[in-house]
Amino acid sequence: MKRYECLRAIAPHFGDELVVTNLGAVRHEWQALRPHHGNYHLQNLGLTSSMALGLALALPHRKVVAFDGDGSLLLNLGSLATIANQHPKNLVHVVFDNECYESSRGAPTATAGQADLAAVARGCGFGKVLTAKTLSEFEDGFMRALKGGDLYFIHAKVEVGAGDVPAAALDSQENKYLFVRYIERSENLKILTSTLSRASDDKK
Amino acid sequence: MKREVAAEIVDSLKEAGVDFVATLTEANLHDLVIALGEDSAIHHVPVTREEEGIGICAGAYLGGKKPAMVMMNAGFLLSTNALATVCIHPGIPVLMLIGHSGGVGEENAGHATVGALTEPVLQAMHIVYEKVGRFEEIRSTIRDSQMLARSSRRPTAIVLNKQALR
Repeated sequence: MKRYECLRAIAPHFGDELVVTNLGAVRHEWQALRPHHGNYHLQNLGLTSSMALGLALALPHRKVVAFDGDGSLLLNLGSLATIANQHPKNLVHVVFDNECYESSRGAPTATAGQADLAAVARGCGFGKVLTAKTLSEFEDGFMRALKGGDLYFIHAKVEVGAGDVPAAALDSQENKYLFVRYIERSENLKILTSTLSRASDDKK
Repeated sequence: MKREVAAEIVDSLKEAGVDFVATLTEANLHDLVIALGEDSAIHHVPVTREEEGIGICAGAYLGGKKPAMVMMNAGFLLSTNALATVCIHPGIPVLMLIGHSGGVGEENAGHATVGALTEPVLQAMHIVYEKVGRFEEIRSTIRDSQMLARSSRRPTAIVLNKQALR
């Protein structure tokens, strides 16, 4: 199975879930399949799981889904220990493992050798760890995680290859503002501070 | 760090609105980390590596929290790429409390290079910082640094020197 097929199978089931995507093709694939202000496309390799953890802890009543990759998670394996200890029941951590640095021309990652990310997640204390090697295994497992009220780690073993989608117009600043404004609206929160005018200062 | 210094920092963070703190401990930060863990008004996330904490704080900010990161300067140096890509580039604030080993008064030769690099790297990253050594400076510096982080939507730093840490 390919990552794009996995994403295409689950995209219709998304409502107001918040999504953090990893660097690489996954962000363009997901933005094409589910254009939504609740998508945060991280411009960093490694911290997808950590950003998703912070978001899940801040908004425990919202489901948060991380679309991570093997190269990214290998940079930040310690995040699995932190996530398992914090145990946010609203977080689904999906790792698309293609065993290579696909966006960097495809050199093998450690999972092409001996490393098993599902075993690492179990060892760090994740109780619900699913490994999917077929599309139906992935779809079934993901839907269970999406509907379940617990922390899940989904290890999707995928073939190399990106979906045939247009490059998303993803500007980091624009993405941040759209995402934060969406959270402010949907959660009735004030995140971005505004400057009071001198006139309003005088009224104090 | 003396317990009363740790208590003053925790209280000042809360007064500044901070409600979420990621930490990576060190001998000098031990009492502060323990005090943060015991405070029910602050969500405390002990991390395994400092740049992980920067990512967690950024995610918490996007979800409406007011985050801070507590670490030593070695961890700040480790976090430079995370700060650049996750915070500075999109415009996400995080207040950093950085213990300064290797500064004046340091007796451990092994910390000297990290100590000497800390301020130049903060300056190179255009991160506004204040150095704190005296107890009376703690509350106002935390309040003002947090104010600037929120209004500028950028990370800010407070460098705690040996005097503050002891």
